[in-house]
Amino acid sequence: MRPDDLKFQKSHEWCKIDGDVATIGISDYAVSHLSDLVFLDLPAVGSSVSVGESFGEIESVKAVSSLYSPVTGEVIESNEELGDNLEWLAEEPFGKAWMLKVKVSATSDEVMDGAAYDAHCKAEG
Amino acid sequence: MLVDEPADAAWNMAVDGALLELADEPTLRIYGWQPHAVSLGYFQKIADFADLPEGTPIVRRTTGGGAIHHGDELTFSLVLDAELLPKNIAESYVLLHEAIVRALAAIGVSCRRAVSGNVAAARPHSRWCFEDPVRDDLITEQGKLLGSAQRRTNTATPRVLHHGSLVLNRPAHTPFVAAVCDQVPITGLVRRQLRSQLVAELAKVLGIESQRDTRTAAEDAMAARLADEQFRNTAYIRRR
Repeated sequence: MRPDDLKFQKSHEWCKIDGDVATIGISDYAVSHLSDLVFLDLPAVGSSVSVGESFGEIESVKAVSSLYSPVTGEVIESNEELGDNLEWLAEEPFGKAWMLKVKVSATSDEVMDGAAYDAHCKAEG
Repeated sequence: MLVDEPADAAWNMAVDGALLELADEPTLRIYGWQPHAVSLGYFQKIADFADLPEGTPIVRRTTGGGAIHHGDELTFSLVLDAELLPKNIAESYVLLHEAIVRALAAIGVSCRRAVSGNVAAARPHSRWCFEDPVRDDLITEQGKLLGSAQRRTNTATPRVLHHGSLVLNRPAHTPFVAAVCDQVPITGLVRRQLRSQLVAELAKVLGIESQRDTRTAAEDAMAARLADEQFRNTAYIRRR
């Protein structure tokens, strides 16, 4: 089950806003289509991310995919353990497999709630 | 289909990068490497290649997977909207690889898709793409014949850059590969036939029909910029 306090992007990143801090990750749907994951690159603490821009990259099955930020702001935490424990993404994509915490200055106006995201995933097949 | 003369490594990667950004129709590009060069997978560490002979040209791809010594090979890139391929990445390799099996069979080269073994995504044991055949790779008795890797963007219109390296003659740094020359002599005719069979089979499975045979001025301008700013940039090449 996806927690109901998350917002999703069409590109399958999720974010949870708590005050002025956004926690960002990728959805169970994204993980299932990427399948076996090999490498992950996340930005360092202190760097900036921007709405719609790539904030990191992930490799699976010899394919590198970009990850896109749903918020603009400064990275205040990066899940440094995740790169060595990519199985967490399949186990707990909305829990311990979070990727970034960002101090938010702007958010995307193209995010969806869980129900709309469910419909989006069904449409993608 | 775009057919390019052999070019240096940075230019080759830059043109593919520009096509990924700008090509407005599915584009298959065939090219070669002059001088021969080593390309690293996007996530590989350059320190793992310190033993290469001094002066070996090295470029970092934007696609994943292991390193390839690009000698005499038929290299192709395919740029297209992701919706034209199976969403599951492993399934997309199966579709493209099966088409390439048929293209090779048409010129008398037999190979098969590995249907067992490690999943393709298992953390590679070898730094070389061709030394570590995994499930869905194209193999012969001699080893692995084709290297493949992808870069996927997930912007408003998700796109895929698919790289393929089909070995014609065995390159120096990776003698363990299979090569087309194991089964047919590499002549000009064989090169042309292989190219046209590849185009025909890929077009068939993707349901595309492209008449394009030149790059646009905008694609060339972006390629020139990417070559200078990214693929010849030491900081990018040595980023890991």
